[in-house]
Amino acid sequence: MTHLHRREFLKSTAAAAALGAAAWSAWPSAAQAAPGGTTRKTKRVVLIAFAGGVRSRETFGSDANVPVLKAMAAEGVLFTRARTSNLGHFGAALSMFTGQSEPRGIRENARGSEPTVFEYVRKDLGLSAGDVWITTAGGEQQVNYAYGLHPEYGARYGANTLDGDGIFNREFKSLLDAWGRPKEMPDKERDLYRRLRGALAAPRGADGRTNTAESAAQVESYLLQELNRGTSDLTGANAADGKALRLARNLVTLFRPKLTAVVLQNADVAHGSYNGYVEVVRRNDAAIGDLWTAVKNDPELASTTSFLVCPEFGRDRDLNARRGLDHGDGSEDLNYVSCLAWGPDFRRGAVVKDDVMVIDVAPTVCDLLGAKARHANGKVLPSLYA
Amino acid sequence: MKISLGKVAVLLAAWAFGITPAVRAQGDRTNAVPEWRTDARVARSLHMDLLGRPPLAAERARSVGRPVAEVVDDMLASREFWQRWFEEQLYYFLLVGNFRPQSERVLAIPDELAAGKLDPRVAIHRVALSTSFDQRNPGADTFVTVVMEQLTGLEVQKNTRELDIGKKVYDGNPGRFLGNDGSSQADVVRIAVESKAFAKHFVGREYERLVHKRPDSAEWNQAAGEFGRDPNAYRALVRRWVLSDAYRARVEARVPVSNRLFVRGLFVDLMDRLPTDEESEPMRQALDGLSDPAPLRSVLVRMMLDSGKVALPKRESIRDPAAWIGGEFERLFGRPPSDVESAAFVAGWNEPHCRVQTILCALLSSAEYQSY
Repeated sequence: MTHLHRREFLKSTAAAAALGAAAWSAWPSAAQAAPGGTTRKTKRVVLIAFAGGVRSRETFGSDANVPVLKAMAAEGVLFTRARTSNLGHFGAALSMFTGQSEPRGIRENARGSEPTVFEYVRKDLGLSAGDVWITTAGGEQQVNYAYGLHPEYGARYGANTLDGDGIFNREFKSLLDAWGRPKEMPDKERDLYRRLRGALAAPRGADGRTNTAESAAQVESYLLQELNRGTSDLTGANAADGKALRLARNLVTLFRPKLTAVVLQNADVAHGSYNGYVEVVRRNDAAIGDLWTAVKNDPELASTTSFLVCPEFGRDRDLNARRGLDHGDGSEDLNYVSCLAWGPDFRRGAVVKDDVMVIDVAPTVCDLLGAKARHANGKVLPSLYA
Repeated sequence: MKISLGKVAVLLAAWAFGITPAVRAQGDRTNAVPEWRTDARVARSLHMDLLGRPPLAAERARSVGRPVAEVVDDMLASREFWQRWFEEQLYYFLLVGNFRPQSERVLAIPDELAAGKLDPRVAIHRVALSTSFDQRNPGADTFVTVVMEQLTGLEVQKNTRELDIGKKVYDGNPGRFLGNDGSSQADVVRIAVESKAFAKHFVGREYERLVHKRPDSAEWNQAAGEFGRDPNAYRALVRRWVLSDAYRARVEARVPVSNRLFVRGLFVDLMDRLPTDEESEPMRQALDGLSDPAPLRSVLVRMMLDSGKVALPKRESIRDPAAWIGGEFERLFGRPPSDVESAAFVAGWNEPHCRVQTILCALLSSAEYQSY
């Protein structure tokens, strides 16, 4: 695990906080905008899809692999039997966000038909795109988690998605270095540029946009800042997952979105290497620890942020011929995973052994923030609240 | 028997493009629309869909005013058409980035297709047997699921028995998968590629890729039958599709530019050349990592315009700003500016802080440039 030095973190935090204060202040907070609202202490949610296929045996069934998750569970609620659907990584993780087990192709690079938790929250609470983020580790396919194709929701209520490894890699950084960073436009030229853009006729067939022109400019600034923060240099067995978690930590601590989701993927190395898989689980646990610590060290975040952590499904009971673990045997190891919840509204140190569903995650997040997952089949996780 | 030179030319063309009599009849009917000539927008759309990039300056000059069918035929006869087809197939299977095939045998596919030594079905068979495909889809469950979904279009959740049989065959056990006997991982691929479902699924997704809508059932069934009987008919099918009324309607309606097209298009539009892989892949990968790529597209536009590497006209060399601005609208949007747009841009041009980059940045980061 690459740990961030405190000095480096504080330096990047200070620089980006200045940016955040200046550039992102226009984004409304939930308190200002939420028509539904909620009386809960939770004002922000971090949802981690501990995906890539992770069995409970290697997490809560093992003494040493996940000390952070165990510490979180000790202060929160652990669901030991969360039922999954073996829909492939893409479909199973998507079902966690939609609250519906819709079959999706494993390599299907298309959006789902149902709204996601991000759309429910943005629409119901009147949030801007800057308040709802997903950081991912699985590349092209995972941007489809941002929003679905439901006519009442869609792109205009989507989340901003950042694939850590796709953007913050050495090749892209080198490319920017070779071509040179874009120069800052002088104010008068920028004003003219905006007027020229405004003079263009709106094209027919133009797709709805997740970002307004204003929030797009803010995302643009953030991307250029983030490229200088060292995320591109993360390496190791969980490099892509590590970047997704690092980005989430930066977003949560700097910009305090209402909903931040992280989708991990590197555990799928298990197909070819059991040991590699366990190493990824350990490293991701440590990276989640960095994120959790950052939240706990900020008094406001600590008292208003809830975490939900859940794999999309497990893995086979037995090793394959390559001494790896596939996912397709229909075993309990595959079909049931452990799901944990930590936050100011939850019971402390509780263990729920009744069956729940992974698709319960989306309705639970909506419930926490005061939104309603109208089209979801899942239910709010039981025995959760204090 | 006397055969006219014209007839010989038609027969030679049919032979060269693998056009069957039925297809030729369809094509003839489509060609019977004499007024469809190539304008700037059609040239841009055809190049984007068939070659994966806008036209180069010389190509644009050559294309505009010619019958669309002639322009299409030129493109279909090129090696670049098959290179584009190959890249699109790799993207469909998500064999990109670290999973992009490196073996000579796979990389030779576009050349062999262009030379007529290979047909698209054999080409996809070869891709699905590659190490990259295996590594992208590790393990019996994932591999057989992907083969069923992506090669045959079957939904595994509704065909769990076939999935179970396929997994046994993958592991080396004899079994009857999709109605045919097999006993190896290679057999799983072979059986899928040779199935009727493959032809139907393949032509369906290819039609959708090119015409940007699902085919109606009559066209879908007819095309699947033609492709199933002779996979070399593929090029003739493409010709029919892009000369159809459906494609014409799609050009009018416009469709979003994918990130791959955006990156390649930006290089062609600004530098009149294609990007190298080292230039395009990091950009494509970065854009694909965003649900809303518009902010990063804007960064890339500004990066290129500010780099000093793009040969921009000097401001003082532009004697007629209205003409230059109109030309840029035609080139980048495939249409002239409206009176309102022209007035606004010329007025903007006359402001002291306006640079050539300001005008181009406004056009290239606009919503209209994100569609074609």
